[in-house]
Amino acid sequence: MDAFSNIKNILVKFYDEYTQSTAKKLKIVDAYLFYIMLTGIIQFVYCCLVGTFPFNSFLSGFISCVGSFVLGVCLRVQSNPANMSDFKGISPERAFADFIFASVILHLVVMNFIG
Amino acid sequence: MPHRATTQTHSIFFNSLKERGFDLVFRSADDSSLSLVKYGEFLYQHLVIFAPSVEEFGGSLNVRAITDFIDGGGNVLVATSSAIGDPIRELGSECGVEFDEEKTSVIDHINHDVSDLDQHTLIVADPSNSIKANTITGHPVINPLLFQGVGMTADPDNPLVMDVLTASSTAYSYYPDVKISEYPHAVGKSTLLIAGLQARNNARVVFSGSLDFFSDEYFNRPVQSARAGSKQYSKAGNQDIAIALSEWVFKENGVLRVGEVEHHRAGEASPPAAYTIEEDVVYSIRIEELVNGKWEPFQGTDVQLEFFRIDPFVRITLNKSNDGLFVAKFKLPDVYGVFQFKVEYNRVGYTYLHSKTQVSVRPKEHTQYERFIPSAYPYYASAFSMMIGLFIFSLVFLHHRDEGKSKAD
Repeated sequence: MDAFSNIKNILVKFYDEYTQSTAKKLKIVDAYLFYIMLTGIIQFVYCCLVGTFPFNSFLSGFISCVGSFVLGVCLRVQSNPANMSDFKGISPERAFADFIFASVILHLVVMNFIG
Repeated sequence: MPHRATTQTHSIFFNSLKERGFDLVFRSADDSSLSLVKYGEFLYQHLVIFAPSVEEFGGSLNVRAITDFIDGGGNVLVATSSAIGDPIRELGSECGVEFDEEKTSVIDHINHDVSDLDQHTLIVADPSNSIKANTITGHPVINPLLFQGVGMTADPDNPLVMDVLTASSTAYSYYPDVKISEYPHAVGKSTLLIAGLQARNNARVVFSGSLDFFSDEYFNRPVQSARAGSKQYSKAGNQDIAIALSEWVFKENGVLRVGEVEHHRAGEASPPAAYTIEEDVVYSIRIEELVNGKWEPFQGTDVQLEFFRIDPFVRITLNKSNDGLFVAKFKLPDVYGVFQFKVEYNRVGYTYLHSKTQVSVRPKEHTQYERFIPSAYPYYASAFSMMIGLFIFSLVFLHHRDEGKSKAD
């Protein structure tokens, strides 16, 4: 009972903290990441159910999710004001431009491979 | 190369050879000018050795010369008797046939001829003990066969030796006049009366333990086994089987050859430079058999094709058409590499038939793969949704940042 309410407390506190102190920009990134993760999970479950037959299609679909997720996380880390000290010389504009550039390459590769 | 008198006593056999178009050259086994090779070429195609007791051949002929002759594709018919000499025994062991000692005979106290009441060495061989191959024995032999001579055993390490005629299970091989003190060289059905060998180069060799087996006397002699209840035959079966055997050993029978080999994609006429995996392929091979001196379509129905790369990936029976064309249609396996169309037809009594045709099979080209597979649509959708997501996210992200900046200002 104690442990359960403890965890509940932690979660509530975590949620409150998140809604209050996280910048809205980061929340947008988080929503984007959540959407990507959901798509990836759906694909994985579908693959488990149907089998791996067009394996290249599965790989490219799944990898496009994973890649987008990784790029999104990088963007989130770089554009978080709390990490400013770690990324001196990389402006938020620069971080976003990198993100777009890498995403374009990722999707080009995915389109080539999807068959 | 018989003894001089042998041409008289075996005239039916030699006349049959002559009638079939062979030029016979008779030479005595101790003739000092004997030679198989002249200027590096073989003088003869076939060799008959009816000289059982020879201790040394004349001229340049020796066991080595005869085995070279066999290695060079020559066919040899050897008939010997109880007076077997060393060269013949040596030639036998070169060919995987072990002769018993000199002066021994095949003895059968049950299945001997009624006229031989003393030593029981004139044995009556049951035709059911002959090899079941019509190319070697001609039509199935019905009359019993007369045999008097030395016994043989086949070398178990030599898989090419065929038991053309074996003795019955009551026979054994020993000195007829001596009390048996040790285990005989050959006992029962392992006693070979006539052994055949087809070397890997298709050269054929036949060893007969009995020279008299081919004689006019045995060809025409009535035969009756001493076994209780056996009936008398007016003529032994020797002539039929001896002549069939000579047809086989001198390559008049049971000879196959490969004609043209064709392969192409189904629906096309000429072979491509390379096949692609999983294509439908048609393979055809023409096989002919020598019948009465003419090449005629082979009538076998059990010829198989292998599509081979280290292991066979496909093995199917070829369909025979009436003109000797064997056709197979099959789908290439989902494996690429260098393959062979391989037909290997090894049957008792026929020459070995080998045909290999090498082709390469390559994987599908980039454009040959199936596209827009229904079960892959979720993946397509997700990939596109990722792109649309990226676009919308970028819009929102940029828009929001502008707002934030203006607020900060």
